[in-house]
Amino acid sequence: MLELVNLSKKFKHLYAVKNLNMFIEKGEIVGLLGPNGAGKSTAITMLSSLVEPTTGDVRFKNKSILKSPGPIRRVIGMVPQEIALYNDLSAEENLQFFGRIYRLKGNDLKQKIDEILELIGLADRRKDIVKKFSGGMKRRLNIGVALLHNPELIIMDEPTVGIDPQSRNYILETVKRLNEEKQMTVIYTSHYMEEVEFLCDRIYIMDQGNLIASGTKEEIKRILSAEKTIIVKADRLNNTFIDSLKQNPTINRVTVENKTVTIIVPKEINIFQTVLKLAEEAKLELNSVDIKTPTLEDVFLHLTGRALRD
Amino acid sequence: MIWHIVKKQLLVFWRNPQQLLLILGLPIILIAILGASLGGLMEGEPISIDAKVAFIEHGDEQTQVDMFLDEIKNNKLPQEAVNAISSSAKEMMPISILKKDILGSDDLKNIIDLEIVKPSKKDDVLKNKEYAAVIEVPENFTYKTLKSIYLENGSKGELQVYKNEGNQLGSNIVTGILQQYQEQLSLTTFAGKQGIASEALQVDPDAIIGETVAINQKKPVSAKNYYAVGMAVMNVLFIASTIGSIAFLEKRTHVFNRVLLADVSRWIYFIGIFISGTIIGFLHLSLVFGVAWLVFGVTWPNLFGCLVVTLGLAIAVGGLSVLLTAICFRLNSEMITNFFGSIVVTLCAFLGGSFFPIGDLSKAIQVAGNFTPNGAAMTAYLSIMRGDNISAVMDQIAFLFIFAAVLITVAAISFPKRGQII
Repeated sequence: MLELVNLSKKFKHLYAVKNLNMFIEKGEIVGLLGPNGAGKSTAITMLSSLVEPTTGDVRFKNKSILKSPGPIRRVIGMVPQEIALYNDLSAEENLQFFGRIYRLKGNDLKQKIDEILELIGLADRRKDIVKKFSGGMKRRLNIGVALLHNPELIIMDEPTVGIDPQSRNYILETVKRLNEEKQMTVIYTSHYMEEVEFLCDRIYIMDQGNLIASGTKEEIKRILSAEKTIIVKADRLNNTFIDSLKQNPTINRVTVENKTVTIIVPKEINIFQTVLKLAEEAKLELNSVDIKTPTLEDVFLHLTGRALRD
Repeated sequence: MIWHIVKKQLLVFWRNPQQLLLILGLPIILIAILGASLGGLMEGEPISIDAKVAFIEHGDEQTQVDMFLDEIKNNKLPQEAVNAISSSAKEMMPISILKKDILGSDDLKNIIDLEIVKPSKKDDVLKNKEYAAVIEVPENFTYKTLKSIYLENGSKGELQVYKNEGNQLGSNIVTGILQQYQEQLSLTTFAGKQGIASEALQVDPDAIIGETVAINQKKPVSAKNYYAVGMAVMNVLFIASTIGSIAFLEKRTHVFNRVLLADVSRWIYFIGIFISGTIIGFLHLSLVFGVAWLVFGVTWPNLFGCLVVTLGLAIAVGGLSVLLTAICFRLNSEMITNFFGSIVVTLCAFLGGSFFPIGDLSKAIQVAGNFTPNGAAMTAYLSIMRGDNISAVMDQIAFLFIFAAVLITVAAISFPKRGQII
């Protein structure tokens, strides 16, 4: 359905996206994963025809969209990271305006607005001004606007940023439902691993403008099949303990976040006794030591040496 | 499609009471304040000119005429010529004419308060700032003048005028009168030489009070009228910066991207911005003038003329709106609308005469002011208020349309092209 071929975007001397190759099949949910500044949003603006790439091509149904973006624009629904709504208008007025922009009118528009408001759970707040909405409600309406014209392909750029868990859950369930019930193709960008793991069939991982991994969830996790993750928790972590872990030749990687140390070691190494010994030497009282199955977060850590939210 | 963009823009304006209050309420408040505080200075009645003029005369005029007549009798002129000059010179008393027939005429009585002062009091009147001017007739002025006219002999008498710089209007009027009078005397000299009857030459009081005529316009503009126009044409410019800000917000929050992704041409959006600016500008001016009519009694003798100027200015505001939007999009910054709203509007308002009739101070400023949209519109509005018809303000109306066309062209050139907007 959609193909990105050697796509690059250069701003002055900096590549925001470099030689990106991707494909999206009809009915898939594809995740685009990466930390802030990885190039996800730039990639999205190029594949949606808003920005011309420096080099490369975007092909929609085997035709380049660079010269004639009309066909993709007519079937695309975009949910930008920002709340792209009019704060001074009501939910219904926003839907009316964008509906008219999408050339819907009369009863069709009215019915569609009712359907969308129902879907996003704002039917009883339709007359309320958007600026009075909570963050979660605005996010839902932001998605609702993109669904007005029954798009074949919906692109969601970090649609759950800054909202409460309940609204987040609602959005994720809605996306899943749209995909299952309407066979809508979804491109979903996020730096929340658990969202991508929950929603996506296939994942592309980006970092600093480059594509560093791609495949199904299982394929990507298999990158870490030769390793395992140990989570160590302690109230008063000290540098002696951290340094001794880092200096241990059997440990591949050590990262520290608050009171938690994540250790990645080869699968065959039994590190449990070593960790206890090092903690004792560092006079550190441990709260827990867990062995964890690999997550996408661990994959990202493995590939880049940084946590996703760094 | 354009209509939906315009409708949305109107709705956004309507839903923003703070902005509405600023754009609509502010000019009304300013009209009330400025109209009341500066009303005395610019009342609608003709400006009252009360120039007090001191007149100091050295010597007696009749004695000088007699002296001149004695002299020509002793001259070696033919008897017929002596008789003709004698009869004419008896009528020719330049100082009496100046005092009674010119400065004391019915036309100037209301303007000039003439006071005959003894030469011994000259220093006192020169120190007294109440006098707009002091006219001093030197010794033998009439005698010298008659000799110059009839005998082409000797130098002409010259009046001495002391102007009070503190009363520029009054002193300028007196100077104007004396210049006219001086020219008449020269003509009389010429007529005398050519044998033309001096009665044929009259000092034209209308010509003398030319300056007064310029001040007493056809239909006076009161302070409230002036500031209704001044504040309306100034505040309407804020519409352009507000629309520019709203458009930039649409870009920043990716609403504009949503519009583009709905396969709407950016030119449709561009035209929508222009039409929004024009309509909101027109509504703004109409509302301000409407309230000014209801509250302050500001009326228009030629409503059609007023509407045409309003349309011209509204189109110029539409042009400004689209230009500011294009620059904001190009620079990806709202800086230009802030700069326009805070600096450019103030400067234009100052040059255009929104605060006070600055054009009266300097011709250059007046010209510069007329090259601002508000200044051109203000000139046209005031002209229509004074009773001129639309043909008298065609230059200003043409300027507003050309101004808008230039801005739209520049905006279209600078508006980011497809694939350049993020």
